[in-house]
Amino acid sequence: MSPSAISIKGLTKDFSVGMRGVKLRAVDDLDLEVGDNEIFGLLGPNGCGKSTTIKVILGLLDASAGECKIYGKPSHAVAARHSVGFLPEAPYFYRYLSGRELVRFYARICGVSRARIAAQVDEVIELVGMTEAAYRRVGTYSKGMLQRIGLAQALVHDPQLVILDEPTAGVDPLGSAAIAEIIRELKRRGKTVLLSSHLLAQIEGLCDRVAILHRGKLVREGRVDDLVQEKDAQSLVVQGLSAAGRVAVEQAIIEQGGTLCRVEQPRLSLDSLFLQEVERRETARSTSTESKGGAQ
Amino acid sequence: MSEVIRSISRIRLIAGNTFLEAVRQKFFNSLLLISVALVGSSTFFQQFDFGTGELKFVTDFGFGALFFFGSILSIAATTQLFFSEIENRTALTILAKPIYKLEFLAGKFLGAHMLMLVFTTVIMLVLGGILYWRESVLMARMGEAFVDGRLIRYSDLLVFGLLQWMKFGILSAIALFIASFSNTNLYTVVVSFFMLIICQLQYIARDAYSTMEQGIGQWLVRVLGLIFPNFQLFNVGDQLVFSQGAPLPAITVLQIVGYGLVYTVAFILLAQLNFKKREI
Repeated sequence: MSPSAISIKGLTKDFSVGMRGVKLRAVDDLDLEVGDNEIFGLLGPNGCGKSTTIKVILGLLDASAGECKIYGKPSHAVAARHSVGFLPEAPYFYRYLSGRELVRFYARICGVSRARIAAQVDEVIELVGMTEAAYRRVGTYSKGMLQRIGLAQALVHDPQLVILDEPTAGVDPLGSAAIAEIIRELKRRGKTVLLSSHLLAQIEGLCDRVAILHRGKLVREGRVDDLVQEKDAQSLVVQGLSAAGRVAVEQAIIEQGGTLCRVEQPRLSLDSLFLQEVERRETARSTSTESKGGAQ
Repeated sequence: MSEVIRSISRIRLIAGNTFLEAVRQKFFNSLLLISVALVGSSTFFQQFDFGTGELKFVTDFGFGALFFFGSILSIAATTQLFFSEIENRTALTILAKPIYKLEFLAGKFLGAHMLMLVFTTVIMLVLGGILYWRESVLMARMGEAFVDGRLIRYSDLLVFGLLQWMKFGILSAIALFIASFSNTNLYTVVVSFFMLIICQLQYIARDAYSTMEQGIGQWLVRVLGLIFPNFQLFNVGDQLVFSQGAPLPAITVLQIVGYGLVYTVAFILLAQLNFKKREI
């Protein structure tokens, strides 16, 4: 059996605070398994221990107790990080380098061979949709572009596990949707993605499994559908039903021993509405541009 | 073996990037310009000379400018280059890669040290040029004073530059060591300057323990004398540069270089011990 992408057992992390070294527990006896080729969401309010857990996984912090392994290797070992790519929250990069130089720099740090480096850099820059801006200085990039070039540097050495800390924080819905699409593409390519976020609507449509942390403790963990489904209730989405028909349906439910809990109007999420509207206008705009070009 | 080569390559990459960041800083360029201007104009400051010869005055002035501005630069640049990585959290991205913390620190140190190499080389070349010009003028004016040839050993001027660069290396390593446990830029700079003063004056302690009676006091002073490097060892400018005295033996120069290397490596290793425990 191949090892889990991430295996955390009894992880505890304490920080010493103040002159007297009072212990502050950031992560408390955490057990977590992230399987290969899944998108796993780490959820929780600010200060719940998400970033600390990620730092332990990356070997940036030592655990006070417990163990953490990446594909069977202890996470504090440098060798374990060959298979990990990381995008920090609100990334900041060397402003004086161009996007391409930056990705190349990280590729060389990761030991990508000279023979592969140019192709590898071009490939990830294309994957994140930054080909046009690749020769611009990083200092001129917008927040969304910084996230994308950050993703490119995380992927440039072709890691099997990609860790993204709040990848869509501060990015507009279009940018967020593009990043979500890149994450889905990574899964199609067989990668494992661990992402932390507090934008729950995005996580819900993206992750295979999630874990919810609160005050350093694991509160819930499992498949998204399993967690959010009301197991003892079903919903019927009906169109064009008359008032008499609705009464008949309600009567039938009662006769069959069920209880009608609530009647709701199905809603689109604001995210979906925004994306639909923008995409519709973008498509219309590009069609009219093409037809004008054709007429000339 | 290949892992060693890969490690050197990673250090070189971080050093190159650090150097690039350093030379883009206005602080470095301003300090370099001020130092060059000061050394270049030293011959016009002779009204402050209290009786020493012109060449001696220019040499002392140049060495003083190199020490003063070089010390400021090595402390400030090393501190700034380290904290910019921590505060901007670029260190987080780098250290999440397959890289050792020691490689990161060594890269930062070497980047700052390359900056000091550029600074020292420029100052020594300007000083050498000024000295050559003034010596040529003096030789034409009063040739009898130069019957044995030139007074200045120009090749040894570069040796002196090398020794000063080694001294700046220790200073950068000390700044890196303090930065590794300090939370602020200002604290690092202030403590590093205190360390510089201690290292510069620690020969007084060495003199003291040679006259002290055996006992805990002498032992304590002796230990302190070992902990803090003795910067006076690097002040061999007059002996190196002026041809009246016997030249400094090559073995002595090598010993001073070795002394500098030992302290530099020791402070970087100490910095690594702190940095390993530091939360990024």
